[in-house]
Amino acid sequence: MSRHSDGYTFMFATGVCVICALVLSLAATALKPRQVQNAKLDVLQNMMSAVGLDLAELKKMDAEQVLQLYNDEFEVLLLDKDDQAADRDFMEAELIALGFPEPKIKELDTGMLLNRFNGSKAILAARADKKLKDYDPDYKIVYIHKKDGKPDAYVVPIVGYGLWDIIKGYIALETDLNTVKGVSFYEHKETPGLGARVTESWFKDNFKGKKILNGQGSLQSITVVKGKADGGPHQVDGISGATLTGDGINQFLKADLQRYEPYFQKLRQQGV
Amino acid sequence: MASVAEATTTTVEQKKPKLDIFGKKERAIVRDPLWDNNPITLQVLGICSALAITTSMQPALVMCIALTFVLTGSNVVISILRNMIPSKIRIIVMLSVISTLVILVDQVLKAYSYGMSKELSVFVGLIITNCIVMGRAEAFAMANKVWPSFLDGLGNALGYSVILIMVAFGRELLGAGTLFGLQIVPQFMYDAGYVNVGLMLLPPGAFLLLGVIIWIQRSLSKQYED
Repeated sequence: MSRHSDGYTFMFATGVCVICALVLSLAATALKPRQVQNAKLDVLQNMMSAVGLDLAELKKMDAEQVLQLYNDEFEVLLLDKDDQAADRDFMEAELIALGFPEPKIKELDTGMLLNRFNGSKAILAARADKKLKDYDPDYKIVYIHKKDGKPDAYVVPIVGYGLWDIIKGYIALETDLNTVKGVSFYEHKETPGLGARVTESWFKDNFKGKKILNGQGSLQSITVVKGKADGGPHQVDGISGATLTGDGINQFLKADLQRYEPYFQKLRQQGV
Repeated sequence: MASVAEATTTTVEQKKPKLDIFGKKERAIVRDPLWDNNPITLQVLGICSALAITTSMQPALVMCIALTFVLTGSNVVISILRNMIPSKIRIIVMLSVISTLVILVDQVLKAYSYGMSKELSVFVGLIITNCIVMGRAEAFAMANKVWPSFLDGLGNALGYSVILIMVAFGRELLGAGTLFGLQIVPQFMYDAGYVNVGLMLLPPGAFLLLGVIIWIQRSLSKQYED
């Protein structure tokens, strides 16, 4: 067959595609367990960095040391709609019924399980023949950082749209459930050099010591402002060229704090 | 560049049927892009990544290794296939080969150096569009045997790497006072009033440094564009 014939061209193109696809799927399959492990560890390290542990130090530790530290100092709490402690059995059962392999579901940590469950909620609701809002148990997760057995900080996930895509992170509050201990962002697709700078420490450090409640004790959250922040407890400096990323953070930070506010209120009243 | 490529083709394919592993011509293929025909300073190709990831040494070094792998790999593969590729679809075939190699690098980074892959983010993927890779495949690998193509890929990758490392060296040292994250500028300098040049960490810093490097390199090598 001539090298210039259409048939040859089609054959060659198909061959190249098949070989490239084969090489890539082999590599992706072989490397996947390590990548998943890395991603999991990264999320954990970021959660832990929100309470003030040095992220660079955490990155230097190996996986076992990080898990050890996590198990020693952090307690994970799963809450239902009424802020009562929930267990994961319901989520596990629902996901397994949906067809996820049981051993895999059992070995997920609670945060991952909740993510998977939230991702499948629409299908699960349809399966149970209920409306999403009737079905949704609205589970939320709280990580409690303990020092000498006493709570030292409360960490909750914050998730929402930035400019391009979803930004995921954590915010840690002091035991007064008002003062911010730290924030961290671990997943985003913001513009490199602009919105992507949310992961830089100067930006995250801006949040430290800010308050989420106003003088009357109701939730005001914290706003990333364009230009210079007023120095007050509710504003932080934004990133030049990334105003929309900041706007996104403002929205989902407030929305997520709102979700946890009833629970925080209870804790405040108990005076922990 | 074209003249060198042609010269090499004739030498390798006609005069020497047995492969010369590291003769004069082969040395020239590696040396030429390092100095006389540097892809960054003379052809001004691939500067997008050169500006983006050179704020510190470590990501720059990882980027250099990634590009070296992709460039030599794509040159070798394209050179092996050069007599089989239908010329109508040669560009898209090159692109497929290059993309495959780049995705491979990205996957390996995610598995073995997750932090680095997060730091380099899109710039690993953008190697696909790095003009140096495509340029060498089209200008050299399509017309030369495997070994010279390998050397050409290596030479160009090194030429790119040398400049990248130089820019990163300047930016990290002047901008942060560190190299590979280790403090280089001593504390007494800061006590005496020395301040890190923050500009160096911003994109304009890279432009300035790269401009100076190009200026010096071109005045020394006496290679000008009219």
